Amino acid sequence: MNTRILKAEFDYFAPASIGEALALIAQNGPTARFIAGGTDLLVQMKLETVAPGCLISLMKISELSVLKREKGFLRIGAAVTWDRILAFGSEDRSYPALDDAVRCLGKVQVRRMGTIGGNLCTASPAADSAPALLVYDSRVRLVSARGRRTLLLDKYFLGVQQTARAADEIMTEIRIPAPRPDVGGAFQKLARVGADISKISCAVAVERKGRVCVSCRVAMGAVAPVPLMIRGVPEFLQEKTVTASLLVTAGRMISDEIRPITDVRSTAEYRKQVAGVLFRDVFQKAWTRAGGEP
Amino acid sequence: MTTYPVRFLLNGTPVEVDVAAQDTLLETLRNKLWATEVKNGCGKGDCGCCAVLLDGRAVNSCLTLAVQANGKEVVTVKGLGNEDDPHPLQESFIRKGAIQCGFCTAGMIVSAKSLLDENPRPSPDEIREAVSGNLCRCTGYKKIIEAISDAAPKCSPSD
Ligand SMILES: Cc1cc2nc3c(=O)[nH]c(=O)nc-3n(C[C@H](O)[C@H](O)[C@H](O)COP(=O)(O)OP(=O)(O)OC[C@H]3O[C@@H](n4cnc5c(N)ncnc54)[C@H](O)[C@@H]3O)c2cc1C
Ligand code: FES
Ligand code: FES
Repeated sequence: MNTRILKAEFDYFAPASIGEALALIAQNGPTARFIAGGTDLLVQMKLETVAPGCLISLMKISELSVLKREKGFLRIGAAVTWDRILAFGSEDRSYPALDDAVRCLGKVQVRRMGTIGGNLCTASPAADSAPALLVYDSRVRLVSARGRRTLLLDKYFLGVQQTARAADEIMTEIRIPAPRPDVGGAFQKLARVGADISKISCAVAVERKGRVCVSCRVAMGAVAPVPLMIRGVPEFLQEKTVTASLLVTAGRMISDEIRPITDVRSTAEYRKQVAGVLFRDVFQKAWTRAGGEP
Repeated sequence: MTTYPVRFLLNGTPVEVDVAAQDTLLETLRNKLWATEVKNGCGKGDCGCCAVLLDGRAVNSCLTLAVQANGKEVVTVKGLGNEDDPHPLQESFIRKGAIQCGFCTAGMIVSAKSLLDENPRPSPDEIREAVSGNLCRCTGYKKIIEAISDAAPKCSPSD
C-alpha cells in the first residue's frame, strides 16, 4: 500500500460558519465528509478504507474552538487541538484523568493537528480521550439541519467506529461538569512504546472521605467494541473502606466484566489478565490525588 | 479536476502554487516547490521525517493538505540556517555526530526548534518527549538528545 499519496480526487471546502458547513454537507451528497485535524481521516484515505468525494474542513469555524469554563461546565470545542487542551491542563488541574490521557495521546506533531472532536467522531474502541471523558460524565453537543441536541457520552458510542452521530451532524463541543471537591482522577494506558495506540487503557474518578470511597466511576478503552463504562465495580466500592484486598476483588470483577478481543496489539487473555492490575494502579493514583493518606 | 490556488510563506519567501485538494503539503513542497530537504518516509504520521513548522509549530506535512497551508507560514530545516550561517541546532547536530545517514535530521531539527521556541531550557526527558514522534534508524538517539541539549543555551527564538 502506498501511503505516500492520496490517490482519489475530492473537492475541498473550508467554511467559516456552521450554517455554511451544514449547507455544504447537504449539497455534496453522501460521500461528503467533515475533516478536522485529518490525523485519522487522511490516514484512512491513504489506506483506502474510505474515499470521500468531498471534504469539508471545520477548522475555520470559531464556534468549534471555544475552551472555557462556563456555568458549572468546562466547554471544549470539538475542533480544539490536543496541544491546546494540554496547555489548559497544565494550568487548570480540575481534570487530571483527561490531562493524563492527553499527555500520552500521539506525539507532538499529532497533538498539534488532532482534535478532541475527531477522536470522538472516529470512535475507535481505543480512543484515548474517551475513558477520561466518560468518568467525568461528559456530554457531546451535535448540530444538523434538524436542530441541536446534547447526548451523554455514555449513550454516544454504539459499536466499533459507530456512534449516535448522523453523517450530516457536526459535533460542536464537549461539556464536562465541574468535579466535586474531593474527587481525584487518573488515566493510564498500556502500549508497546510511549505514544502508541493503547492495548488497553483505564480511567478512574473517585470521591473519597478519609479512607471511604464515597463514589467512583471507571471506564476502560480497547476492552470492548466501545470505550466501556464499567458498571459493577462502582456499586461494589460505594461507601466502603478501601483496602488492598477490596481492590483485588474489584480488579477481578473488572476482568470478568470486560469483553476484549484478540488483535494485532494484544490477546484477549492478556487484556483480561492485565485489566485488574491496571485498574488497581489507576485507582491508587486517583485515590491519592483525591487527598488524604495514600 | 478542481485546482486550488494556494499562497503561503515558505522560509520567509511568499510562494503561490496551484494544487489539487488531494495534494499533501509534503508532496507540494517536494515536487512543486523543490523543497526536497523535507523527507518522505511513512506517509502516515509515524516517523516525523516530513515535519515542518506550520505557523511556528511542528506538524507532519504528510498528514497536512496543501490547501490547509493557505495563508500560513511554513518553515523547513533550510529556513533555519545554511552552510554559511547555520542555526545553533544545525551546528550542534554536526559537532555532536547526531547525523549519520541524515534522513531523519530535517524533521528532528524542526521538532527540536519547535520545542526550544516553547521551552528554551528543556530537560533531557522533555527533549525525548518532544522528538518522540521522530524516528531515527541510525544514531540510537543519544547524540541527538545531547545535540539539542547543547544547542539550547545558544538559541534565541529569533534564530
Ligand atoms: C501517528 C499517530 C498517532 C496517534 N496516536 C493516538 C493515540 O495515542 N491515541 C488516540 O486516541 N489517537 C491517536 N491517533 C489518532 C488521532 O490522532 C486522534 O484520534 C485525533 O484526535 C483525531 O482528530 P482529528 O481532528 O485529526 O480527526 P480527523 O481525522 O479530522 O477526523 C476524524 C473523523 O471524525 C470526523 N470529524 C472530525 N471532527 C468532527 C466534528 N467536529 N463533527 C463531526 N465529525 C467530525 C471526520 O469526518 C472523520 O471521520 C494517532 C494518529 C496518528 C497519525
Ligand atoms: S512521512 Fe510524515 S510522519 Fe512519516
Ligand atoms: S541519521 Fe539515519 S535515520 Fe537518523
